[in-house]
Amino acid sequence: MTDASQSVSRRAVLQMLAAASFAASDRARAAPSLNIYSWPNYFSGNDLAGFARQSGIVPNISNYDSNDILFSKLNSASGAGFDIVIPSSSWIAVLRQHGLLQEIDPARINLSTLAPALLGRPYDPENRYSIPKDWGVLGVVYDPAAVGGEISTWRDFLDASERPGVSGKVRLSSSAWEVIGIALWLQGKDWNAVDADAIRAAGDVLRPFMKHVSSFDALDPNELANGTIVMAQSNQSVARTALMLNPKLHWVVPKPMSEIWVDCYAIARNAPHVDAAYEFLSYQLRPDVQLQETVAIGFPAALAGLRDKVEPGVAHFDMIFGGKNLDIGKLTSFVVNPKTIGVYLQTQLELQAAAD
Amino acid sequence: MHRQRHAFIHFCAGIPLVWLGVVFIVPLLISVVFSFGTNTFGGITFGFTLDNYRTALSGLYLAVLARTIAFAAGASFTCLVVAYPVAYFIAGRTGWQRTLCLVLILLPYFSSFLIRVMSLQILFSRDNILDAWLQRLHFATGPLDLINTPVAVLVGMVYAYLPIATVPIFLVLERIPPALRDASRDLGASYWQRFLTVTFPLSLPGVVTSALLTIVPMLGELVIPQLLGGGRGVLMGQIISSQYLQAQNYPLGASMAVILMLIVGVLLHLSWWLGRRLEGRVR
Repeated sequence: MTDASQSVSRRAVLQMLAAASFAASDRARAAPSLNIYSWPNYFSGNDLAGFARQSGIVPNISNYDSNDILFSKLNSASGAGFDIVIPSSSWIAVLRQHGLLQEIDPARINLSTLAPALLGRPYDPENRYSIPKDWGVLGVVYDPAAVGGEISTWRDFLDASERPGVSGKVRLSSSAWEVIGIALWLQGKDWNAVDADAIRAAGDVLRPFMKHVSSFDALDPNELANGTIVMAQSNQSVARTALMLNPKLHWVVPKPMSEIWVDCYAIARNAPHVDAAYEFLSYQLRPDVQLQETVAIGFPAALAGLRDKVEPGVAHFDMIFGGKNLDIGKLTSFVVNPKTIGVYLQTQLELQAAAD
Repeated sequence: MHRQRHAFIHFCAGIPLVWLGVVFIVPLLISVVFSFGTNTFGGITFGFTLDNYRTALSGLYLAVLARTIAFAAGASFTCLVVAYPVAYFIAGRTGWQRTLCLVLILLPYFSSFLIRVMSLQILFSRDNILDAWLQRLHFATGPLDLINTPVAVLVGMVYAYLPIATVPIFLVLERIPPALRDASRDLGASYWQRFLTVTFPLSLPGVVTSALLTIVPMLGELVIPQLLGGGRGVLMGQIISSQYLQAQNYPLGASMAVILMLIVGVLLHLSWWLGRRLEGRVR
């Protein structure tokens, strides 16, 4: 082997390395990508695989476990790089006001298959920034033997909490507005329109009941099944699981008013892969995909007429939709208002402190 | 050559200094600056106002601060009461027995903190192994329902911080020269007299260190009260977290964090002063 051949060989190797790195960087530039920031386990694996087959894009999914963390992330430098985010209805207005979402181009998506009751809601009246993904309602799951009958109103809920077999076994939500909403709804007030004094007054109404509360923590269906908790504020999905574990439990969305929350697709400001984001949204809004998402996630997708499309053989079928004959159009969605959210939270902390 | 070695030593010393500066001093200064600002929901208008401190030291927040200090002090004291006999026992062992005891004490640290607290949550829940044993041994007639109670939070705190309390006491106890105890025995002191007049006073610096190492993290503890206390009877860690995240009120959250840091500073000074007094007494 001569020096010349060694020299050629070295050059060849360098050339190959350079070509390989160029190719790699070129591929990286060309490879479509999509960054999703979402709640944990919030997409069907089959649907993600189907989207990857169709588009060649395997989404990168990061998780958060509360809307406030989503807001904090998007509101900081570390929030750059996300394309699709899934905020709840309560936080969409705040995210929009802080310029953290970009306007959705209605020409690039088809909303005609979605339930009208979930479109044009107060947090985004023209759906310029959000597309409903799925929804849930606030209700009460309870043991009728312990509470001594049926619950149909929030007044029944408060009265039942004082019973000997119920006191100390009541779970309230960790969400300030879901707890304080009980008193506001009983007073016929709109939780989005009240001022600080009304929120504090609602807290005063609830304070005497706090001694009966055992938890403001996330609801574990097993606690309902084994009797640690006998009456709890809950969404329909956790309640449905509890009913599967203990068929004696009952579920109700109490009158005169309760909450519907809607988790929505939104596109983050400065999303780096806007085309991929629209491709993903179009895929996710396909009726067959929404049907699969409902079965996989356990919360109903926003598809119009979904109830008729899900196979009725599914256990506690009606619970997926919040119960029989529930008119979701009559329920209210909370909208975080920077002027009052601090009062809601302080009142909730006072209630939690009073529960000890 | 000598100058090069000097430069290398300065470089090595500079690394932790830069590290401390970036991850400790800078965030601390940011918190202090934030605490004097005005909230704009998820943002801050910088300036100088004491309103956040007034709010943090009034009404509910002051009551929670007082409750947090009392709870942390009680949990830390309980930790020491449990840790001292354990440390004393280990200091009395030698060879593989001592090593085995230390490994057993530190073993839980090989698993995630969250997993350990979640395990306690399962243990305290109804119809679990603890309930079953207590009922079988006739110590209880029904379910204890410990979960979501202050007792569960206290037990969780003691469990989580016990190794931290045990090790400093052990280190001081094992360094007490056996000759001192032998001398007191030769002078006619009983076992309890030897312990109360020689061993315990000499171990006090370790006790003070353990108290400090447990009470400081307990003051800001967030996970244990949330998972074992069910969100009832809130402590300061939860309130600071809710101000930063849910309320997006960074200035108020920062002022509460600064107040906690000042309390920690006072505790540090107190332990330093106590340490010096104890050292002087021993000499």
